Amino acid sequence: MPRPKHILLVAILAASAWALWPSPEEMAGGGRLGNRPVAAREDKSGRAYHLRVAPGLYLPGTMPNNVGKPLEGLVRVAEKFEALHPDTYVEFVGTPAVREWLVTQLAAGQAPDIISVNVEDVWQDVQKGWYVPLDPYLAEPLPGVEPAMAGSRQWWDIFKYQAITRGKAAPDGLSYCLSYDMVETGVFYNKDIFERLSLSVPKDWAEFLEVQKRLKEADYIPLLVPLWSISDWGVDLVFDQLYQPLRAGIDLRQDPERAAYLEGYLDWDEICLLHRKGFFTRKDPRWVELWRILKEWRPYWNQDLTSADPMRLFVTQKGAMLWDGSWSVNRLARDPDIGFRWGVFYLPSIPASYSRFCDGHPMCVIGGSATQFTVTNTAFGDTGDLRTSERLKRVIAFLQFLTLPENADTVINETMSFLPNIVGVEPHPELLPFDEFLRRPYTTTKWSYTFDLRFNEIFMRMLDLYLADGISEEEYLAWTEKNLDAACRTVIARKKLDLTDLERRWQEKAPARAQMKELPDAR
Amino acid sequence: MRASLRAIGRSLGLYALITPTFFLLGVFAFIPFVWAFTTSLYDYEIGGDSAFVGLANYTEYLDDPTFWSSFTNLVLLSIFSVVTGVVFPLGIAKLIFSLSSDRARYVYRVVFLVPIVVPGVAVLMIWGGMIYGDNGLLNESLRLVGLDSLARGWIADPHTALWAVAMIGFPFAGGINILIFYAGLTGISESVHEAAHLDGASGVRKFFLIDLPLVLSQIKLIVILTVIGAVQGFQGMFILTRGGPGFRTMVPGLWMYFNAFSFQRMGYACAIGVVLFLLILAATVLNLKYFKSSEDLTAAG
Repeated sequence: MPRPKHILLVAILAASAWALWPSPEEMAGGGRLGNRPVAAREDKSGRAYHLRVAPGLYLPGTMPNNVGKPLEGLVRVAEKFEALHPDTYVEFVGTPAVREWLVTQLAAGQAPDIISVNVEDVWQDVQKGWYVPLDPYLAEPLPGVEPAMAGSRQWWDIFKYQAITRGKAAPDGLSYCLSYDMVETGVFYNKDIFERLSLSVPKDWAEFLEVQKRLKEADYIPLLVPLWSISDWGVDLVFDQLYQPLRAGIDLRQDPERAAYLEGYLDWDEICLLHRKGFFTRKDPRWVELWRILKEWRPYWNQDLTSADPMRLFVTQKGAMLWDGSWSVNRLARDPDIGFRWGVFYLPSIPASYSRFCDGHPMCVIGGSATQFTVTNTAFGDTGDLRTSERLKRVIAFLQFLTLPENADTVINETMSFLPNIVGVEPHPELLPFDEFLRRPYTTTKWSYTFDLRFNEIFMRMLDLYLADGISEEEYLAWTEKNLDAACRTVIARKKLDLTDLERRWQEKAPARAQMKELPDAR
Repeated sequence: MRASLRAIGRSLGLYALITPTFFLLGVFAFIPFVWAFTTSLYDYEIGGDSAFVGLANYTEYLDDPTFWSSFTNLVLLSIFSVVTGVVFPLGIAKLIFSLSSDRARYVYRVVFLVPIVVPGVAVLMIWGGMIYGDNGLLNESLRLVGLDSLARGWIADPHTALWAVAMIGFPFAGGINILIFYAGLTGISESVHEAAHLDGASGVRKFFLIDLPLVLSQIKLIVILTVIGAVQGFQGMFILTRGGPGFRTMVPGLWMYFNAFSFQRMGYACAIGVVLFLLILAATVLNLKYFKSSEDLTAAG
């Protein structure tokens, strides 16, 4: 005869199991709880070529932003590819979005064959032989396209945003990343709140601050941003506003191959030389101005920059504007309960009336390539030699197949997050404003990606502390100076940089700099 | 000589039994330590070149931007952990031990032990999101009583982050520590209690004069374990703050992790690891040498 307490325990266990049991919808894979790592596929792992692909946002089975249906576009494309190559199986894997994981996998030669990784991250490690330069393949015709169509002469031609795509070549001149699609940032705003407060889209920085002031007075959080977007996008955009007018005197290297998109871009060696000359130090008034502008902007952001959820605050209408990437279009457009009208505009320029170092030129862009497919050292692991590897040929064949217009359309437009970078594939109509933004010139530099990760870590942390009034401006400037000193020493040693040639060009540009005001005390 | 060999021969089976343990200890503890020490003398970037630099990694660490702040944080957090890891569990153990009913003592022991089944990561996520979050328990409670101005990002605010991290685990009723102290209290001979009673000691006076000296062995153990845990552990900061804002919650272990796997500076990270090892060794030796246990006190009369 079982005791009552035993019966009670069994009943509690049974009730718990019943409560936790997934619904039939979830078990079928179509439930509301997305982010399943990989869509279920027939196991073909015994085939001669088992390719592993980490496709970033396009991972089958997941739902970007947890809205819509689980993605399946890549699976459909892979199955078409496998039908053409019966000895091949393409497996899609999710990867942690952390560099620690990537570095250890690459060092061990165990990374997926194709990964989506930011081009600037790749630049850090190109000297280690972890990535395959794609230039020889890009110069060849793209298999599968009709004669006279884009790509029939060379693979390069299939890419719509040519300047951006070619501009993503590493400083060594080689292209390691394939820009599959495009992304840009924008300020999403709540049209209903704007209408209620009689606000309009700001045309310059002063108006932008005024709009934010009015929103704050009306008890809204004016602008929702996470810390990383300020330390990455915010710093670069304001930096460009301040330093772009100096390009004639400080852009020391002209590279015709990259200039189409990266005209005037300052690479790490140029930054190092300029830093030696007193730029980006306390003696540089523009550098001081950069942090002043950000600090003056700070009161209009969400109080907690590190753990608040900006999107949640925006959709619950606690915040009136959200500075985010085009991937948020998917979240906002597909949410049936959004409850307000929204629009998007680009950050306005800073006029001379606001800062004497600015000339009011349009705010540059900082996005560009979104999914950047990179072929890793795993792809030629069969022979260890790029020239003889059969596996590498199959990996490249799959990458080429992905870029065929019909396949790119299937994969990219399913997510409503990015703009296709393939000729003949139109972006989703909701993303058209971002297409317009992308026509602007690119930033002068990207501080978050210029130096090693140690620099970036310290840079972001101290900016956070400075913006949160944790340290004074003087302390902050001392930190950035020391950090940049160390980063320059490291990059010069690791990349074995010789700045002699840049020094010569620096001297040549002296007449141009003589026309410029308030430069640091540089010789 | 022959006798020694015979003795070894007789014990061969026992040696065979402990050999696997020593082998595993060697592979997973001693060899990695030797490797770490050797690597700390090199400038070694994962996937890159490796160059012998002698003690340069150590001297660089002394000038590291995190050095003073991270060790200050470590000392503060260690002291806080030791105090809270001893005071609260000892008090709770004493209260449970003082209950007259055996059944009640058993129930309370179980109740205090149950929370340890919750994974540490889950506990941290709960604190980070549900308690310290923008709309977490703390901020919402403050708003409820009209103290909106005090609401803040507790782990994002440089003025509160370190204490917010330290307070995780409140009310510090660590189940294992309670059990250790409870075991210590039950180990005190009944005759000691009776003698104390006859001498007129009771209540708080008895606790400080009788119980506390006789559970010093347990306190010593918990101090050693807590200090080692504090020096080695960084998961709390890694999950909640990543050592920020700035370096306000940075600890040396976390900076070692960043250098090893994020910045790829394996040699430098190993140097930090060796420094931490030496620190733990010194703390343990000092603790064993100068911190008297109940046995030492008893032996000293």
